[in-house]
Amino acid sequence: MVFKRNRSAEFEQEAVPLLPALYRHACWLTRDKAEAEDIVQEALTKALRGFDSFQSGSNFKAWIFRILRNVFLTSRTGVAATQTIYLEEHLDGGELTDAGHSPEEELLRLDDSAALHAALDALSPPLRDVLLLCDVEGMRYREIAAVMQLPIGTVMSRISRARATLRMSLNGHFGEAA
Amino acid sequence: MTQNHEHPSPVMISGFLDGELSDAEAQVLERHAATCHTCAMRLVEGMRLKAATSSAESRYEASAEVLTRLRSGIVAANKRENPGARLRRGWSPLVWSTLTVCLVLVAFAAWQQVRRPDTLSAELLDAHLATLSNGADPEVISTDKHTVKPWFQGKLPFSFNVPDALPPDTQLKGADLTFVNGRPAALLLFLIHKHEVSVFVMSRDAGELMRQSGTRAGFSFQAETTPELRLVGVSDVNPVELGELMKALARVQ
Repeated sequence: MVFKRNRSAEFEQEAVPLLPALYRHACWLTRDKAEAEDIVQEALTKALRGFDSFQSGSNFKAWIFRILRNVFLTSRTGVAATQTIYLEEHLDGGELTDAGHSPEEELLRLDDSAALHAALDALSPPLRDVLLLCDVEGMRYREIAAVMQLPIGTVMSRISRARATLRMSLNGHFGEAA
Repeated sequence: MTQNHEHPSPVMISGFLDGELSDAEAQVLERHAATCHTCAMRLVEGMRLKAATSSAESRYEASAEVLTRLRSGIVAANKRENPGARLRRGWSPLVWSTLTVCLVLVAFAAWQQVRRPDTLSAELLDAHLATLSNGADPEVISTDKHTVKPWFQGKLPFSFNVPDALPPDTQLKGADLTFVNGRPAALLLFLIHKHEVSVFVMSRDAGELMRQSGTRAGFSFQAETTPELRLVGVSDVNPVELGELMKALARVQ
């Protein structure tokens, strides 16, 4: 009984600081705040049930994010999302080409958050998810690999391609406006 | 990238921006950027893009109400998982006497709990009732095993078979992907006469807590085990007929 109480307190201590991050990532996955909250709630319940098998000192954040993604993938929205199979070589839409411009010519205007959000929305989910885990959630590559169940090389490649695709999208947006 | 004059690849630049390069690799890249204007500008642009992407954090900020609900959910779940009495120090003899009585009652309740079906059966019953009540179609609507089985490929860490011949008046309705005991599982939906049957197919270790058979709230449970899988059927149909279906499924795994 005392052991279980201590483990419950330990779980709260680990989980509560991550609630904003879990909710945020769930919103990106579902695009629906109500559904995101439900998914986070379900993930927390499942994580608490499985907490006895979690080794203290190992990476709780990667562990619970993995559970969150599993809950999403088996939700109706997640299953529908996985109906589209993305071939690794076509995750960027196959449109990345070197237009031969210098970096100065391609200097991005990044002060338009709406354009940035639209560009992020337009990314394929496999690219967007790894980029958000890296840049928004601050995860290391090995943590992202554990959450997404991917080799680290694939994580590195996807992050690089996500950024290249964002760059192209934002260039295209401001190129038309100029 | 091993030489100063070689331009770093986009993957290397990303790795540098994310602090993922080794010290040696980072030094080589920095020395190169110190002498290559193009790559220096690429680094600057990459840093700006990374900072801008990081700012997307504010797009879906959790409100205080949401955080309160989520935190309350953890507390409620903790109470469900740990229903024992909480002890405090420095109580009066009256309180201790009352506590002793409570402990006796808790022990009795715990003994009752041992006699009740396991929590996995509760989870499966909830899932079965959800399929009955929400009226929504499953993800795969098909009576054809050649449609149902391939749909799960890539979605589950195991595979399973559906028999060609089912017991009399038994029909495959469709299937869905679900989650049992924290692990992905297949949910096969059958009709026996007009009774709905949910069969959960999971890896053997995910279903280890499940007893072989039992009842809960008027529904029957039948479990079958193969070397790799655990199959659990839930229905209000005659337990004998449910058992026949489960044995037919287990035979072809």
